[in-house]
Amino acid sequence: MRSPFAYVPRSGPLQSASPGAAVAYLGALVAVAFLYSSPLVLAAAGVAAALAGRTAGARRAVRAALRMGLSLAMLIVVVNALVVNRGETVLVRLGDLPLLGRVDITAEALAAGAVIGLRAAVAMVGFAVYSACVDPDRVLRALRPIAGRSALTAALISRLVPVAAADAARLRDASRLRGPAAAPLGRAALVRRLTAGSLDRAVDVAATLELRGYSIPARPRRSLARLSPPWGADTLNRSRYDRRFYATGAVVAIAAVAGGADTLNRSRYDRRFYATGAVVAIAAVAGKLLGADGFHAYPTVALGLEPATVVLSLLLVLSGLAPRRRSSTRNRNA
Amino acid sequence: MRRSRSLAVASALLCAALATAGCGLGAGDGVGEVSLTVTRDFGTEHLAAPAAEAVSESDTVMRVLDRNVAIESSYGGAFVQSIDGLRGDRHDGRPYDWFFYVNGLWSPVGAADYPLRGGDRIWWDYRDWSASTRVSALVGAWPQPFADGYEGDRHPTAVECLGESAACARVEGRLRDAGATLTAPGTEGAIRVLVGPWGRLRKDATAAALEDGPEASGIYAEFVRIGGAYRLQGLDEGGEPAREFGPDAGLVAATRRYGAPPVWIVSGSSAAGVRAAAGLLDAEHLRDHFALATEAAEETPLPIPEGVGR
Repeated sequence: MRSPFAYVPRSGPLQSASPGAAVAYLGALVAVAFLYSSPLVLAAAGVAAALAGRTAGARRAVRAALRMGLSLAMLIVVVNALVVNRGETVLVRLGDLPLLGRVDITAEALAAGAVIGLRAAVAMVGFAVYSACVDPDRVLRALRPIAGRSALTAALISRLVPVAAADAARLRDASRLRGPAAAPLGRAALVRRLTAGSLDRAVDVAATLELRGYSIPARPRRSLARLSPPWGADTLNRSRYDRRFYATGAVVAIAAVAGGADTLNRSRYDRRFYATGAVVAIAAVAGKLLGADGFHAYPTVALGLEPATVVLSLLLVLSGLAPRRRSSTRNRNA
Repeated sequence: MRRSRSLAVASALLCAALATAGCGLGAGDGVGEVSLTVTRDFGTEHLAAPAAEAVSESDTVMRVLDRNVAIESSYGGAFVQSIDGLRGDRHDGRPYDWFFYVNGLWSPVGAADYPLRGGDRIWWDYRDWSASTRVSALVGAWPQPFADGYEGDRHPTAVECLGESAACARVEGRLRDAGATLTAPGTEGAIRVLVGPWGRLRKDATAAALEDGPEASGIYAEFVRIGGAYRLQGLDEGGEPAREFGPDAGLVAATRRYGAPPVWIVSGSSAAGVRAAAGLLDAEHLRDHFALATEAAEETPLPIPEGVGR
C-alpha cells in the first residue's frame, strides 16, 4: 500500500505548477506558523494548508498529517506541562517527582504547549501537502543546475527507498505463503536480507552510472589565475561600487534560482502560487509589525484579538483556496 | 479479569505515590504571608507600595510579583523583562535591569523557580549594574535572613567578635531580639556576623573582598589606608569614590561568596565607628538599604547617588 504522503500525479493546479511556485506558496504558510504564536493565526495557517491539500486532491495526506500532527501536539502539551512550572494558574500539584523535581501543572504551560504543538501540526500538514502534490522528479531537475551531485544522490534515494519497501513487502508475503505451520520470519532476518539486496542493487546502480560516464571528471576549466576573480586577487582595483553590484547580482541570482531554475517547466499556474505566497509573506510581516501576534502564555495567558490578527487569519484561510481549479470558459458558456 | 485487577492495583499505587509526593488540585494550602518591595536605584525610590500577601505552597516569586504589579516576561516566562513598564535597558550608556532578593540574598535560581515560605521578604530592584553584576547580599531585609533563614532553610547565626566587646554584645542582643538562633563561631552552615574594626576584619577572606571593589564584594564601600589608619569611603552606582568619611565612621554591609552562608560586616574605622555601626542593627535603620554607613549619628545609604557625595 502506498504511503499517504507519496506523490500522486494529478492534473490539478498545484501539481502542474513548477516546484518553485509550489514551494513559495506552501513555504509561506509554514513560515507563518514559525513566525506567529497567536493560536488564531496558527489555526488559520493550518486550515489554509489543509484546505490547499484537500483542494489539490491530497485528502489522504492531509488526514494522515492531521492525525500525526495532533498526536504530536498532544505529546508536546503533556511534556511541556510536566517540565515547565511557570505560569500563574496552578491546576494540579504533582509534588516532587524523581528527575523532574517539583511539578506544578499550570494553565499557562498547557496553553504554551498547545501553541507549540499547533505550530508543529501546521508544519506537518504543509509538508504533507508538499510531499503529496509536488513531483519530486521536477524538484530534483530544478536542483540539478545548482547542486548536481546532491540532486543525483537524492534522486537515487527517492528511487531506491520505495524499491526496498516493495522488497520488504514481497519477502513478507513470501514468508506468509509458507503456511501457518512455518516458523515466523523474524525482523532481524528480514533486515539482513533487505540490506544484502540493497547492497547488491547499489553495486549494480554504481556500475551503470560508471558505464554512462558519471565517473569521468569534468573538463578542466580555464586557469583561475588567468581570470580576474571578483574577490581576493584584484584587491587593489576594487571600487566603492563593487559591493552594490555584487549585492544586486546575488539578489538576481537568488531570484533566478527560486523562480526561474526550471524555466522550461513553467506552468500557467505559477504566477498564481507565487503571487499567493508573496501576499501571505507580506501580510505576515506587516501583521507582525502591526501587532497581530498578540499572544503571551506567561505569566498569564493573554490573547490579543486585534483587527490585524483577524484580517491576517481570514487572508490565510482564503489563501488555502489557491490550488482550486477555475471552472473553464467552455463550461461557463455551456 | 486478572488484567483489570492489576490495572486497579497499579492505579491505586500511583495515586498513593502521588499523594505521598504532595500532589493535589489547585494552588495548595497556605504557608503564611510574604512581603514584596519594588524599588529602583538601590532602594532609593519605591515604585509600588510595599505589599504583604498570603501565599500557598505552590507560589513562587514570579507568581507573587505578577499578582501585585504589571510585568512582562521573556524566555518562556523565566525572565522578568519589565515591571510596570520599566524594562531592562541602557540609560546614559549604563546597563539597568531588574534584580530580585529573597530575605536579603541574591537568588541562585530564577523567579519562576523560587518557592516561597511564610515570612519571606521579596525585594525587586531596578538598578545600574555597570560596577557590579552581582550584589550577592544586602542588609535591607532585616530581620531576615536571621529570623527565618534563606533558600528554604533556617540557619543559626555566629557572631565573630574581633574586638570591641561592647559592640559585639550589642550585636548579639539585637540578633536575639530579631529571632536569630545564636551559635558558636565556626559552626557549619551558620550565617556569620563579623564585628570589629576594619584593621582586624580585613584578615577574614570573605570580608577582605571589600578592598577589591563592588565587583568582588557587591558592597559599594571601601576602607582605604590613610596615614596608618583605615578610612571608610562611600562609592557611587558606577563604583567610583563619592565620599570619604571621617575617622569614626561605621559600616553595616553584607556579602556572600558563591554558595557559602552570607557574611554580615559590622565594622568601622575606629572603635567608635564599630559601636555606631552596631547601633544600626534594626529595621528602622536598615530597611530597604543595600548597605549603610554612619558618621556622627548621620546615616548614609550605599551606594551614594552620583553628584550627592562630594
